Amino acid sequence: MTALASARRNESGAPEAAAPRLRRGMRAGRILESVLGRLLATVALAIAVLYGGGLLYLLARGGSRLVAFTTFATPLSDVDGEDAMRFVLAAGIFAVSAWAVSLVVRDVLVRVRGVASRRANRIARAAIGVAGLVGALAFRDHLPRFLISLPSETRAGGGIGPEIFNTLYFALLSTMVTLPVGVGAALYMARFAKQRRFVSALRVALDTLASLPSIVYGLFGFLVFVVQMKLGYSLFAGAIVLAILNLPLMVGITEESLRAVPRELEEASLALGATPVQTALRVTVPYAWPGILSALVLSIGRVFAESAPLIMTAGTTISRGTAYSLDPFRGGETLAVHLWYVNSAGLAPDRADVSAGTAAALVVLILLTNVLASRLARFGGAAGTRVRHATR
Amino acid sequence: MGTAVLAPHRGPRDAAVRLVLVSCAALVLLTTLAMLLFLGQAGLKGAREVGLVPLLTGALWKPEADTFGGLPLIFGTFVSAAGAVLVGAVPAVFAALWATELAPKSTRSLYRRTMEVAAAVPSVVYGWLALVYLVPQMEKVAHHLRGDAATGGEGLASAGILLGVMIAPTVLLLSLDSLARVPSALRDASAALGASPWQTATRVVLPHGWRGIVVAVFFGFARAAGETMAVQMVIGGARKLPDSAFSPTTTISTQIVMDMQNARPGTPGSNVLFAMSLVLLVVSVVVVLGTRWLTRGARTT
Repeated sequence: MTALASARRNESGAPEAAAPRLRRGMRAGRILESVLGRLLATVALAIAVLYGGGLLYLLARGGSRLVAFTTFATPLSDVDGEDAMRFVLAAGIFAVSAWAVSLVVRDVLVRVRGVASRRANRIARAAIGVAGLVGALAFRDHLPRFLISLPSETRAGGGIGPEIFNTLYFALLSTMVTLPVGVGAALYMARFAKQRRFVSALRVALDTLASLPSIVYGLFGFLVFVVQMKLGYSLFAGAIVLAILNLPLMVGITEESLRAVPRELEEASLALGATPVQTALRVTVPYAWPGILSALVLSIGRVFAESAPLIMTAGTTISRGTAYSLDPFRGGETLAVHLWYVNSAGLAPDRADVSAGTAAALVVLILLTNVLASRLARFGGAAGTRVRHATR
Repeated sequence: MGTAVLAPHRGPRDAAVRLVLVSCAALVLLTTLAMLLFLGQAGLKGAREVGLVPLLTGALWKPEADTFGGLPLIFGTFVSAAGAVLVGAVPAVFAALWATELAPKSTRSLYRRTMEVAAAVPSVVYGWLALVYLVPQMEKVAHHLRGDAATGGEGLASAGILLGVMIAPTVLLLSLDSLARVPSALRDASAALGASPWQTATRVVLPHGWRGIVVAVFFGFARAAGETMAVQMVIGGARKLPDSAFSPTTTISTQIVMDMQNARPGTPGSNVLFAMSLVLLVVSVVVVLGTRWLTRGARTT
């Protein structure tokens, strides 16, 4: 940077050039260089503007549907579990907003005072809890209608309530598989593996899994769960497929976080007489926990984003009776699938608006996972590598 | 884990935990093997039923008439992915070079964060944006170029541009990572010799980090080739070879997801889809092998 700056200074200070000194600014090709440099900058900034602007546009276009709180209470329809769903959704929305505000406030405080205070953190945590509770109790019937109503294929005014529920439920279901298996396999590879051939086979397997297109996972899930186990389209099949899809990401980042644990800590634990297993479970894993959580959050982001394998394993329909059912052996679509379905098969006259709202909801969810993951990774020791794993 | 002379007592609980950990690892391995086995079995069955040569070279895909010529699918997949590399990956690599070497330090992390978010945006969202904003523009271009022969905006060109936009952030981030791994001592040495940032970037950093960039482009290609729903929204779905860049065609993954809903499991119509998925499998295996070959010797983990 300094070199570039001094080169610029030399260009402007042309009269001074009379002195016969050897200077960088005078070498051949410097004009070409600055032209090419500006060209690169233009390309790079154009890309940033394209994506940044696109994201802002998405939020602006669909965001109004997400914040259109109603003054009159929306009556419950006769769908099981709708009340609980509204409660959770309202709590989530208000808690997340409070969290976002607290992040900004904390940043300002740190800038002003120079240090983060534990007391401010505790207050922030309490405020988030209170905001969630108050939001849930006071506003659960005033949520934007788009977020709590059922989708409609043919008429205007369809919402994405069940889709939001399914998306979050998928995240929960697949986490129940990804977390234990991923952490177990990573812990084995990082600390307990003895046979080198087994580990290298495992690495090849994970590399292969990571590079497979998601449609292949969809085919596998379709073949095994839908056809051979005769489960039909079900959340269970979709969740398992998503869990397998996320294993390479989970194992990769977790292993890296585990390896980043300072050796001295483990040796101290061993010196105190703990067994290697005790050391791993009580020292290594707790120390690496933020990194593991960041891997988990990134894999949840993938659950939000994935569509093709879910279409083949969990179907594209919402049935009124089981819209908010916790039964994992029913079918159901997520937000991403809904966005596709509305545009390819939907006949609703307002499908442009519905799509915009759905896309905005998806982008908000993705933004949240992104911020959360990067905040966690800051403590987890694997910050630099998570992108390499997250992006196939 | 060095074993001490005074090894602590290892109770049954330790053994149980170890067993659980090994079985987790084994589960990962077995799942992968099961996946490859199931898909391979169904795919080979499909390939045998139709015949490998007709399957790969036939120019008409018509499941309702039991005609399975996979050439349009393969062509669509590879050409749209190649287009994506041209439209998306190449500018992304240049941008990565700028962002690591030439950009003002203060903008670098902001740039990175923007791209991380862009890379995490679901591909369906990109697909929908392309359907709403890109396709009408492409239709105008097509009518302008080809007159009445043009059918609409959906087609190979739209798919290529969409995929390019989709993979660019990924390629950019992977390239950024690989360029950031170039030791800064090299940059310092180059600057100390009097090289400008541009000279350092092109003659020191690029020669050192090009393998990572090639890997990034590989991954971008593989991701573009495997993308399904977003492409399905803009490629038109005509199951034949395209007449031009603006005419609709199809890709392997698109056709799999569309036909799987109608094909009865176990029939040739279903098995042949598994056979086509093996083509995608081959692409990703080639990418993995190429990556390993390029980064051999280098520190990977």
